[in-house]
Amino acid sequence: MDAFALFGLPFMQRALLAGIALGLVLPFLGVFVTLRRMSFFGDGIAHAALAGVAIGLLAGISPFLSALGFAVLFGAAVFLLERKTTISSDALIGVLFTGGLALGVILISLRKGYQPELLSFLFGSILSVAPQDLAIILAFSGAILVVMLNLRRQFTLLALDRDTAWLYGVHTGALDLLFYILLCVTIVLGVKLLGIVLVSALLIIPPTIAKILAPSFRTLLLGSILAGETFIVLGLVLSYWLDLPSGATIILTGVLAFLLTAATRASFKA
Amino acid sequence: MSETPAVQANHLWLSYGSAEPVLEDVSFSIPQRTIAAIIGPNGCGKTTLLKVLLGFLAPQQGTVEILGKPPREARSGVAYVPQHFTFDRSFPITVLEFLQLSHPTCPREKIADYLSHLNIAATLNSKLGSLSGGQLQRVLIERSMLGDPKILFLDEPAAGIDIAGEQSFYDLILHLHREHGCTVIMVSHELDVVANFAHTVLCLNRKLVCQGRPEQVLTSSTLQRLYGKEASVYRHHHGAL
Repeated sequence: MDAFALFGLPFMQRALLAGIALGLVLPFLGVFVTLRRMSFFGDGIAHAALAGVAIGLLAGISPFLSALGFAVLFGAAVFLLERKTTISSDALIGVLFTGGLALGVILISLRKGYQPELLSFLFGSILSVAPQDLAIILAFSGAILVVMLNLRRQFTLLALDRDTAWLYGVHTGALDLLFYILLCVTIVLGVKLLGIVLVSALLIIPPTIAKILAPSFRTLLLGSILAGETFIVLGLVLSYWLDLPSGATIILTGVLAFLLTAATRASFKA
Repeated sequence: MSETPAVQANHLWLSYGSAEPVLEDVSFSIPQRTIAAIIGPNGCGKTTLLKVLLGFLAPQQGTVEILGKPPREARSGVAYVPQHFTFDRSFPITVLEFLQLSHPTCPREKIADYLSHLNIAATLNSKLGSLSGGQLQRVLIERSMLGDPKILFLDEPAAGIDIAGEQSFYDLILHLHREHGCTVIMVSHELDVVANFAHTVLCLNRKLVCQGRPEQVLTSSTLQRLYGKEASVYRHHHGAL
């Protein structure tokens, strides 16, 4: 079999295009997620999005769009509760994340029979990126990329030194909310390919590897994106050749790269 | 007509939750181009007062005017060096990149020039996380001065600097104050520094106990009112505190 025949397959072309778009935005936002120590938030959004998927499946609307809407609501709820209550952010996310997951499981149990869509949302599938999904992923990824490129300085300042950011005219509250929403949307965009269970790993692994190697912030951003793109393309090709779930293959590729990087560079405490 | 004060605080009250007020009816005025020191025991509200003046915290009662404007509107003329700048030291950002975050249009040459003045020129392309406490504090000073602020707020700026570095650090603050003509408002525990550098001293213990020139304020009786009965002033034979 021609090793490159897979690139002529329409579903693979869609998966690759979606993957390349996600390989730009997930690691880009991931740099700020790791800097702000928000890894748990990313995981929480992905899991809570299951309720949105279930609502879409039950209501007969696109589960992808309903998951996007639900995740944005989740992010806005965390943002508001963090500011209006004394409950810690971790506890809030833990409660809302498990609540969303439990609601999703109950709603899905109301549907009878085998649920192939549910499995693809849980674990990701290269077969699952329909043309309309690809359009959504490309459109949202493009918009997110434009926003992030324009506001990366403000997002970095906010993540590093909130008080100073405010003094230099950054609208800290509005920018926080925008970041939460961008993060929610980005994570749900990745759910089709990577799955609810694994999507947040692509936020974390590329910047973690780049952080070990990068000498500057600029190289950290570029290195994260390069690593994300490599894992996605390599993972997709491997998942096709080896007939493995796409999400798990992409993430394992990333984890192996991380272990190699950590082992070859001094990233252990003395 | 008299000049607008750098800082005008009127009857400030602030408490965290239902606890005792941290600031109780604090009022004072600081003229422009002076060096003011806020002193007082731990937990007396020094850092809280600084945060209220900067606009980070809103008082429950009272008003603050910075150069005649509310803190939010006066932000462009204000700079701040925190007591502790905590960040992930493994985060790869160079000193140049860090300074350009706050001053994106500032030319690289100006940044390098400032670093030379602060005797840390070699750190321009170093990772921020690799700097020593003293070097980091100088970078934070540079960040605050690059915007040519009218008022510089310092919260225990020499914390984390060794004794040898302390004197040169305060000399640097004095030099910047003279060169730029900016008002300096600093929280400090070091009474000798306050005596040597400040033009006016605010003694705070939730309430404003007194305000005046160092020689007026740094007396045994004032310090006993501020810190308790054990506090007193000793002067060396050469006059230092």
